[in-house]
Amino acid sequence: MISEIVRYNKEILGLNRRNQEYVRPFNSASSKEIADNKIFTKRLLKKELIQTPEVYKLIRTKKQLQFLDWESLPKSFVIKPNQGTGGNGIIVFYGKKKGKMEWIRPNGTTMNQRDILLHIENILEGRFSMGSRNDIAIIEERIKTDPLLKQYSYRGVPDIRIICFNQVPVMAMLRLPTKKSNGTANLHSGAICTGIDIGTGITTYSMHMKPNSLLSDTYELIDSTVDLLENKPLSGIQIPFWNDLLEIALKCQKASGLGYIGVDIALDAEKGPVVFEINARPGLGIQVANQAGLRWRLEKIKDVKIKSIKHGIRVAKNLFGGEIEESIEAISGRKVLNITEKVYIYDKSADLAKLEKYKDTKRELVKATMDTGILTSRIDSKLANRIGYIQAHKYFTKFGIPQKFNNFTDAQAYIDTNGKEICLNSDIKRLAKIVEDGEIKIRPVFSIPIKISDKIVITDFVSTQSSDSLYPITIGRSDLTGYLIDTSNTF
Amino acid sequence: MFETSKLTEWLLGSGVSQTILELLIALCIVSTIVSIARYVVGNKTYGIYAPIILAIAYSYTGLRYGLVITFVVLFTSLLSYSILRRIRMHYITRIATNYTILSIVLILFLIVINTFGFGLTNMSNISPLAFISIAALSDFFIKQYDKKSLKGSALILFGTILVAVVGWFVISRDLISDYVLNNLWIIPLLVVINILLGMFKGLRIKDYFRFRLSSREENDK
Repeated sequence: MISEIVRYNKEILGLNRRNQEYVRPFNSASSKEIADNKIFTKRLLKKELIQTPEVYKLIRTKKQLQFLDWESLPKSFVIKPNQGTGGNGIIVFYGKKKGKMEWIRPNGTTMNQRDILLHIENILEGRFSMGSRNDIAIIEERIKTDPLLKQYSYRGVPDIRIICFNQVPVMAMLRLPTKKSNGTANLHSGAICTGIDIGTGITTYSMHMKPNSLLSDTYELIDSTVDLLENKPLSGIQIPFWNDLLEIALKCQKASGLGYIGVDIALDAEKGPVVFEINARPGLGIQVANQAGLRWRLEKIKDVKIKSIKHGIRVAKNLFGGEIEESIEAISGRKVLNITEKVYIYDKSADLAKLEKYKDTKRELVKATMDTGILTSRIDSKLANRIGYIQAHKYFTKFGIPQKFNNFTDAQAYIDTNGKEICLNSDIKRLAKIVEDGEIKIRPVFSIPIKISDKIVITDFVSTQSSDSLYPITIGRSDLTGYLIDTSNTF
Repeated sequence: MFETSKLTEWLLGSGVSQTILELLIALCIVSTIVSIARYVVGNKTYGIYAPIILAIAYSYTGLRYGLVITFVVLFTSLLSYSILRRIRMHYITRIATNYTILSIVLILFLIVINTFGFGLTNMSNISPLAFISIAALSDFFIKQYDKKSLKGSALILFGTILVAVVGWFVISRDLISDYVLNNLWIIPLLVVINILLGMFKGLRIKDYFRFRLSSREENDK
């Protein structure tokens, strides 16, 4: 319990530390003023040639509202308060009713001219704004969502939030509107958030606010979309224009002067990446979506000198891509592994004491591939049998574990029920749930010594029976700490 | 109970009434409780003003009476505002109408209590200011309800009442108020505690639950 609290404190960024250590010292009052004002932000980004949604109308006074030319508005548009917070006051209109002055919202309800006027009046009176100050209403274009992301969102516009610090993109997530969120991509309104691997731009874990929870701000991990006609799995989506998105986020950071920033970018089907807004106090739920803490990431890059945007992206990919927990020293290029390496794997009967002295130990030279996409390293079960784990495999097989599971939750439930008994065999360290040949399976984990890059390490290996692996050993990111992977050299 | 300190004696003899002094001490204590609740526990309240006023009001009404009035205020506000929401009208006029309805209901409530008792026979002796202070909670509740959601507002309301009850419990203990009244050095100590809380960077208790990460050891993807 105490060790868990200490671990959490080291890994996770809480609201207190975010405000004290990152927002206050790195975000000046003038920069925050720009971020909190959508019109200022648009002007600033325009100068940097960064695309933002086109503004149709700016309504500053009730008089301007009185003379609003309704006919000139397109069928779909968005109304936003200029200084709104947390998605409050944003209304998305998806279409217009034929022959009527009524506009359709993503949940199917309509608003007529009078309703919209009243909403804009409320915006002008500052009902949705920080400090309830008088505000400006923005009527802007509704982004036409990229077809790839469109299939995962319930109408509305999905966006990608990238948190940057010290000119390095630190963490990212995809926010998908749901029926509950009514077209907005705001987590608190009910949108789904999916973590994105910084290195590849591929989605990882997903979560949303727990429905029917008595507590506020409680999240729940989910595997697929929740309210589409045909729900789709959320992990493994390759975000288009990933490198461009990282570059745009860093450009926004540079232009705004915010040291710690959250940049919200949508993907328009025609225009490509379009920046929605920049945020000086981005929320911390992104950690749950990525199942990773922000604090250690921010601390790693606090004192790194970033020379350019490209350098920032490179550092992010090396450090946080695939969640490689390596040290900053390693980035300087001292420990580099090729994508495939030859490693020695030691026999089960090998004496550990002798192993340390490199004497007469039974070992085999095998090809291994480095894969940051998996956490724990993997070994082909045939090789594991060869080096002495045949009895352990026989013991494992006799339990008749199902060949596949529908989801990770079922697999975990199986492990929780039967894991202890199966792990009674001294060779089986634990059970792991893995995706193998596209199916979720439970496999045993063995602790096996290997020699990699002139270093002997006792490594946890998941024994697999995958048919499509070219190499008997795959080294996962748990064992790649302190290494850089050079993809250009193979032997 | 405690020997009156020289500083307290001097203050009381220098135009500061005991009631004012007690109230100001209560203000310091409850505001510190709000700070702890916010930055250590992670409990959201309607700002700092609402829980302080509520705790002090409860100390005048007594917790039972205070909670009954709170319930009537909130129930009426919720009901009247839910109806008013459906009418197309300006925001401030809606709030004003809500207050008017609330006043009418509170008068009816006092008449009903006077007629039937319901175990609240002392209601007529309650300080009018304490009564009005609790009624003001309606504004905080409705504003939040209007800006966010009923659930969101209700959760913050719960947090506010919880902190106010803790505050009430602390300031209504004779032992505590007597002790602090005669040991005024505690007030600068509260300043120090608040400064330290202001610099606290650790995780709030709520953060541990909010940002709970599943054991990555076991999630082998």
